[in-house]
Amino acid sequence: MSTASRKAAVSLVAALSLASLAACGSSNGASDAGKGGGTTTTKDGVSQVSVTMVSGAAGDSCKVSTESVPAGPVTFTIKNESATGLTEVELLQDQKIVGEKENLAPGLPASSLTLTLGGGSYQVYCPGATAETTAFKVTGQASAQPTGSASSLLTQGAAQYGSYVTTQVEAMVAAVRKLQQDVDSGNVQAAQKQYGEARPFYEKIESDVDGFVLPGFKPTDNRGNLDYLIDMRASNLDPAVGWHGFHAVERDIFANQKITAKTKKLAAELTTNVTKLAQLSKSLTYRPEDLANGAAGLLEEVQANKISGEEENYSHIDLVDFAGNVEGAQQAFAYLKPGLKALDASLTDTISQRFDTVNSMLDTYRDPNQIGGYKRYTAAVKKADANKLSQTVQALQDSLAHLAEKVATA
Amino acid sequence: MDESNNLSTSRRRLIQGAGVGAGAVVALGAGFVGGRASADGADIPATDDGDLVDLTASHAFYTGTHQAGIETPQQRHTVFMTFDLTTTSKQDLQRLLAQWSAGIAQLQAGLPIGSVQPTNSAAAPQDTGEAYGLGAAALTVTVGLGPGIFDGRFGLADKKPKLLADLPKLPSDRLRPELTGGDLSLQACADDPQVAYHAIRVLARLGRGTVNTRWTVMGFGRASAGKGQATPRNLMGFKDGTRNVKEPADIDTFVWIGDDSDEIAWMRGGTYQVARKIEMNIEIWDADRISDQEDVFGRSKAEGAPLTGRHEFDTPDFAKVVDGKPVIPVTSHVALAAHENNNGIRILRRSYNYTDGINELGHLDAGLLFIAYMNDPGHFIQLQTKLGSSDRLNEYISHVGSGIFAVPPAPKKGHYLGEELFG
Repeated sequence: MSTASRKAAVSLVAALSLASLAACGSSNGASDAGKGGGTTTTKDGVSQVSVTMVSGAAGDSCKVSTESVPAGPVTFTIKNESATGLTEVELLQDQKIVGEKENLAPGLPASSLTLTLGGGSYQVYCPGATAETTAFKVTGQASAQPTGSASSLLTQGAAQYGSYVTTQVEAMVAAVRKLQQDVDSGNVQAAQKQYGEARPFYEKIESDVDGFVLPGFKPTDNRGNLDYLIDMRASNLDPAVGWHGFHAVERDIFANQKITAKTKKLAAELTTNVTKLAQLSKSLTYRPEDLANGAAGLLEEVQANKISGEEENYSHIDLVDFAGNVEGAQQAFAYLKPGLKALDASLTDTISQRFDTVNSMLDTYRDPNQIGGYKRYTAAVKKADANKLSQTVQALQDSLAHLAEKVATA
Repeated sequence: MDESNNLSTSRRRLIQGAGVGAGAVVALGAGFVGGRASADGADIPATDDGDLVDLTASHAFYTGTHQAGIETPQQRHTVFMTFDLTTTSKQDLQRLLAQWSAGIAQLQAGLPIGSVQPTNSAAAPQDTGEAYGLGAAALTVTVGLGPGIFDGRFGLADKKPKLLADLPKLPSDRLRPELTGGDLSLQACADDPQVAYHAIRVLARLGRGTVNTRWTVMGFGRASAGKGQATPRNLMGFKDGTRNVKEPADIDTFVWIGDDSDEIAWMRGGTYQVARKIEMNIEIWDADRISDQEDVFGRSKAEGAPLTGRHEFDTPDFAKVVDGKPVIPVTSHVALAAHENNNGIRILRRSYNYTDGINELGHLDAGLLFIAYMNDPGHFIQLQTKLGSSDRLNEYISHVGSGIFAVPPAPKKGHYLGEELFG
């Protein structure tokens, strides 16, 4: 058994034992509120689940009030009481993110997430917690499972993937706006921190949105190339257009550690450009092979720009981008999974396992005290670990490379 | 012989090798010529094909006897690479060895591994393509199993070859961890460097997800002679391998693990491989006076004759003393390595010259990829302990990389390398 699958098995066992401990009190259907102890409560027909993040002697943990609810609408109320190492909670089903909450700092008011869930097995995923996943069961009718040929399953998955892209684009616009505010306030530290928060979104969906040219510009004119205007690095500058976007801001706040009128202008421009991007991305439609090629493209990004440390030359948050690329690739894959399983179950398993391997490797770099939640990718880290990082990603990339040919001919 | 040397009638790609010994004759038409008109009538057979290279030659893989690339006439180029297993699954290892076996059989036949140009436009090509149309170029890929295979990760501890263990620290070792060890080794040798490189590239690709690359050396010129081959020179300009093990009977004695050996049964027909990356301080060596260079090796530079003789293949006379001093210094390379001075121990050397460009000091970074085969790694340890302690050559070289591997016998058709491990 590979390291990754052994780890997966261990966490599965942990999750199962948690579930069985709680089994006596769970799945009561509609009972009175306030009983606690793993009992499901409902309010106006909506199941209520609280997720509480607390610190403890053994590390941070994520406590889920019940491990089972009936199918239907569910509200998760998520509160970070004291866990400094935890910032996000996701609900996963078969590696797919069904819902998520980010930026959960201790002491902030509880935030809530309401989802309509069909029967089946889910996991509450708290990256960085001592037990990262908690099994979560929804009893009763499964949501209408997509049916049909592998080809129609793939097409449905690709269409649904569009909502993932929309979520990320919207979150990016909000995070970039906040970055602009922090820059405008002149607070370098706050701006640095927010830079780390704003970066991953573009990285998750870059291969979907990097082809936009603003109306009225030729494709060869970088003044109208949104990817250029948002994400260009110093190494590929077009002298006729100059430097714009995330990395120009990065240089000011990390290398120069100074916010000037120019920085403010760059941050405002960035807000404008990501807002334009959000508008344009509404027109996107996705074929299964777009997801497959996009996933492979994101991993190419990891190999070409993150492991080299070129992407975040000043902030050294390359591992934050790395994790963003991997998440984006994994989500594209997850939406193809129902159809892909029917086409090639063994390739599906291989890719799933290799995502697990890459994710468990990335987990070892998590550091809640650093900008973006990952260790800084310094020259020393690069020297020691680039080889391991690159070879592990390459194994995933090679198996993903077979995806497009499978789905394109389905 | 254990491998078919499939010499095609086509001679279009017959190449006259460089660095042939004095008196070489250019081949005309079909057939062979003596590579070396040895004036001294020394022990080079008349059928010697010298340094002629036939790029259509190929070696069979499924012989059921010894792996190719050991007794095989040494090819011009090599890419040697070692790998670490990233899995702890015995099945993954089994699958890898089966895939590599099938892949090597294809490659040695001069065939690509899968399609170079898939008909499906969305598919990534299976074969990387750079050797497409180049022919087999006498390619051999030899697979070795490192001590790590038997360390308990795969439940194979009871299958460990008796004499397989990490080499002990040897005198003068300056090993770098990143150039040392490995769970598996691949030695690809061919008369076209691109064919050897392609083999390693596609086999590494087949193994991705199961193995990570560890260290590699690309050798550009052979620096050992096999039977019927002119003795080539190492980068110090001296002939290397004059006294190599060449006769089949000697190879049986010193290299192959025989049926009567008390070695573990699945290793019969196999051998042990020791690889050492030996860096040379080329600039310093080049400034050394010729008399000292010759004393270091114990041989003359141009002819390669022992300092007690006139011709390359004259037997060195280690007892000869002039003016109260041995003519061949006792700390010369040839004196220390000679079987006469080592209880008759011999190892089969199959080394290559290499260059890694320019080092951090601006010096030429080059040396010898020493690869040797023997049925008892103790023989290498004994020789290198002696050489590492007192060889005059140590002033100019350092052993920076190292690995030891058990080389299983070749499978029969329908089987794969190391199959007995999984029975």
